[in-house]
Amino acid sequence: MTNKEKYQRAFSVLHASDDCVKEINDMKKTKRVYIPKLAAVCAIVVLVLGLASITYAADIGGIQRNIQIWFRGDQTDAVLEVQDGSYTLTYEDEDGNIREQSGGGVAYDMFGRERALTEEEIIEHLDSPEVEFREDGSVWVYYHSQTLEITDQFDEDGVCYVQLKDGDEVLYMTVTEDSYSMSSHGYLAP
Amino acid sequence: MRLSAEEAFRLYGDRLFAIAFSVCRNRADADDVVQDTFLKYHTQNRDFESPEHIKAWLIRVAVNRAKDLTTSFWRKNKVTWEEYMGEAVFEDPADSRIFEAVMNLPKKYRIVIHLYYYEEYSVREIAHILRCRDGTVKSQLSRGRVLLKNMLREEWNDDE
Repeated sequence: MTNKEKYQRAFSVLHASDDCVKEINDMKKTKRVYIPKLAAVCAIVVLVLGLASITYAADIGGIQRNIQIWFRGDQTDAVLEVQDGSYTLTYEDEDGNIREQSGGGVAYDMFGRERALTEEEIIEHLDSPEVEFREDGSVWVYYHSQTLEITDQFDEDGVCYVQLKDGDEVLYMTVTEDSYSMSSHGYLAP
Repeated sequence: MRLSAEEAFRLYGDRLFAIAFSVCRNRADADDVVQDTFLKYHTQNRDFESPEHIKAWLIRVAVNRAKDLTTSFWRKNKVTWEEYMGEAVFEDPADSRIFEAVMNLPKKYRIVIHLYYYEEYSVREIAHILRCRDGTVKSQLSRGRVLLKNMLREEWNDDE
């Protein structure tokens, strides 16, 4: 007997329960909206939150601060250094490795003049949702303590719309199969 | 093309239960996965190219749903797979040892092992369903086989 034959015979004991049959039959009679347990509605995923965002732990002097950030669903301590609109963030990941993340940017005032991002704007950026495209093909959204897999929530055009609710604030994310964008005013076109 | 949910369940219900059980390792979650998968199939009303396309789509949805359940914070007390084994009637004692060995594999290996040996998908087809690279499937399959061989010894052939 080949391994496949042995395996198939061993697993032939598995059968869906009679309740499944009843549930399938009931589908024909009633109109239902599919709402799986992780709060997704069709191709729009809604994530409701209620926790605080980044908190300052201590000002350790100079241009550095101790802050707490959310990293992939876990809160962790980090040191933030900001200078001229650029930042360096040092923290420990889930495996205990020290990691460093850098970035920065500019903003434009009402006259079109460029200026460096402020510390508050940088922190707001660090506090924003993150989308991870994993090597195994799964796609995950992280926002504060919440983790949500959206791998199978993409519509036929390869777009998933995610609505993040945190108290009265709502963020609208548009996620394609390799990028994402967000706005507090509505879904951006992919 | 499109099958009714009832027809799709008749054709693929037990298969989905088997893959869901191999991920969740308990009957209640596996049943939930099957119900959720067919509810989604019923409500999405999309078109498919062929029955094989339907089956592959159902399996992908079921695998992802099963993974969600195993990582969710909310879990009830459920009948474990060991208890399920106690109730199941295996055709041969060796079958129960194979079942037990597979249930003891790490989840990521169980999924590819099941899709390869039970559904007889190729590496490429498995990679397409799971949305990962061929190389990832190959290495997971290889490691899963080594672990099975270590557990089952002569009861697991060296053939592919």
